[in-house]
Amino acid sequence: MSSSAPRARSLAWALVGPTLALLIAFNVFPLLYNIASSFTNAELIGGEWRSVGGANYARVFEDELFAGALRRTALFVVCAVTLELLLGFALALSLHRGLPGKQVVLTILLVPMMLSPAVMGLYWNLVLNGNYGVVNQGLTALGFDPPQWLTDRDLKFWSILLIDVWMWTPFMMLIALAGLNAIPPSIYEAAQIDRARPWKVFTRITLPMCTPVLGLAVLFRATDALKQFDLVMAVTGPNDAATQTLSTLLYQVVFRDGSVGLGAAFSCVILVLVIALATVFTRYIDRLQSKDVTA
Amino acid sequence: MRTNSWTLPALLALGLIACSGEASRESETKTADASATPSIKVWWFQWDPATGLQELGREFQAETGIAVEVQQIPLASYQEKVFLEFGGSRTNFDIVIGDSQWIGRGASGGLYVELTDWLPTVVDLATIHPRAAKYLCEYPEGSGRWYAAPCETDAVGLAYRKDWFEDPKERAAFQARYGRELAVPATYEEFRQVAEFFQRPDEKRYGCAMPSDRNYDGLTMGVQNLLWAFGGKWKDEDSNKVVGHLDTQGTADAIEFFKTLMKLGPKGCERLDYGQVLESFTNGSTAMILNYFAFFPGIHAQFGDKVGFAVVPSHEGRRVASLGGQGLSISAKIPKEQQERAKRFIAWFLQRSVQEKWITKPAGFTANAEILSSPDFRAKTPFNGPFADSVDAMRDFWNVPVFNKLLAATQRYVGMAVDGEMPTQEALQKLALEKERILKEAGLL
Repeated sequence: MSSSAPRARSLAWALVGPTLALLIAFNVFPLLYNIASSFTNAELIGGEWRSVGGANYARVFEDELFAGALRRTALFVVCAVTLELLLGFALALSLHRGLPGKQVVLTILLVPMMLSPAVMGLYWNLVLNGNYGVVNQGLTALGFDPPQWLTDRDLKFWSILLIDVWMWTPFMMLIALAGLNAIPPSIYEAAQIDRARPWKVFTRITLPMCTPVLGLAVLFRATDALKQFDLVMAVTGPNDAATQTLSTLLYQVVFRDGSVGLGAAFSCVILVLVIALATVFTRYIDRLQSKDVTA
Repeated sequence: MRTNSWTLPALLALGLIACSGEASRESETKTADASATPSIKVWWFQWDPATGLQELGREFQAETGIAVEVQQIPLASYQEKVFLEFGGSRTNFDIVIGDSQWIGRGASGGLYVELTDWLPTVVDLATIHPRAAKYLCEYPEGSGRWYAAPCETDAVGLAYRKDWFEDPKERAAFQARYGRELAVPATYEEFRQVAEFFQRPDEKRYGCAMPSDRNYDGLTMGVQNLLWAFGGKWKDEDSNKVVGHLDTQGTADAIEFFKTLMKLGPKGCERLDYGQVLESFTNGSTAMILNYFAFFPGIHAQFGDKVGFAVVPSHEGRRVASLGGQGLSISAKIPKEQQERAKRFIAWFLQRSVQEKWITKPAGFTANAEILSSPDFRAKTPFNGPFADSVDAMRDFWNVPVFNKLLAATQRYVGMAVDGEMPTQEALQKLALEKERILKEAGLL
């Protein structure tokens, strides 16, 4: 007995050790290094690093660019995730009700999600091109004055948002469909026996039973949208004031301006925001699940 | 015959492994061959001149036995890739053909090898055009300290539809409307008039286009042709002070004028990168473009005699063209032996006989003052003459180590002024303050 416990502990360390070492090397160490860098004047190339105290953080909070990127990112997250959730859920409901050719429709709908965002950005650059893009050619043929989707400063942000919605609505749909399929048919049968109206069935059965899984999907998409980078880079680049998000601003600051210290401070603030958002969501999901268990 | 279901995949996998073994042996052989031949690696972005340089590199190899490999990096990620390489202890390139604006960062960061003592031993510096020397090769500008040798010299010029300008109907209509002959615009006022005349969106015909993109440096390069011509400045040349020098009436007038030109182009012309400016012309819809000469050989190849080329317009006698082009710099993060090989290539490239070949390569433009002033060169193509004249008028944006921060701020504030998001004077005042803050932080003010 006494000799097997240390052996088991050794085995446990042997199994967990490599993963732990990798986590420390690739997650914990970079995080600590980033935090330390955020208090220095580190540059991408050369130069002696010296401590600047909280100066980088002061810059972050008084920087109009950061405030603008933060507002834009928040707007992007709210609008993109809301639209994707509504459209995805609506599509899932239609498919769940046995749409003819369901498998074909499902496959077609899933294609955008499976393609690389960078490739999609380049593709949509061509589709939405102001002069020769297929959308504007169609609009011109119909007699409309076509807008400049990617160059008009009031439109380009919304164009990127629409591309994101096009790409990620299928993801929401897939999760929602899984949630709908998990609802036991017996509940619907009971509702039918009770002569419940469709709206009641939807609000009292379908929606509440899908909510935990939809909450999880919203969490995934919100954290992903918060990091929005590829599409913006491919469509307008990192230094366009109308579309700059937190991630592209960070890229501009670190890789173009070479200000590693300031960039590290930016990323620490972004990290805190992401953690705060994720905590809110996970607590919400925990609460829903505990309600479910109690019920 | 009955076979197991895994037989075919297993055979395929074995085949792949066998092939990959063969391939790796081949690559080992190639590597061994390559290591036997001395070689240098040059990094440049992906465009025609880089292909031309590779062709010259083969001639260099035939003469010296040193192989030259010009690696072409996509432009969008070129700067980031180069400076990330410099962040390491050894660069993957021996020579980098860097943007003129990088030279301050390369020189003061100890990334480029200083060529001040060596260069005069292999080339007569007087043969290098003084403007190319000042902006492409020296840091600080005009200091006599060399960190690059000129490779591609470039400036913004004017390309126009000669066939439209020579059309008798158009000429008569222009004469009737403006009371003067339709001619290649010599001033910005004339340029605007001609652009206004050809601006006919209903016919899918547009007046003018010029760089105005907000992503990297398009808008800045487009605006500064006018900025200097209208008497504006980015800074005080001696002190680097910005407040009181940038936020002046001259700069504001230039931006206001630029805004009027943005209404005389194809849709979306207020955000065109260099490629899109070129495309607006090559698709046959635009009468005039201001863009870099390096694009003009392609235009000429496509349109032949239907197009003409000229220097950028002037304003009240002042004519200034945005400088483009890049210099050859040797990485300080390679062994001495490689640096010597890189120097041999640069010395060879700067010879007059090689420069004569360089100008025959697609979009190969030289800084050799003797060639630029020779009547033969001017007569060779319709764009050579205007190019030679533009070199005399070219100027560059900041090239200090923090140029990128200055550029990003310029793009932002000038962009807001051009878009009407902020009154021009206010945008210039804010830009001047921001630039002084960046310069003070960098110890340059």
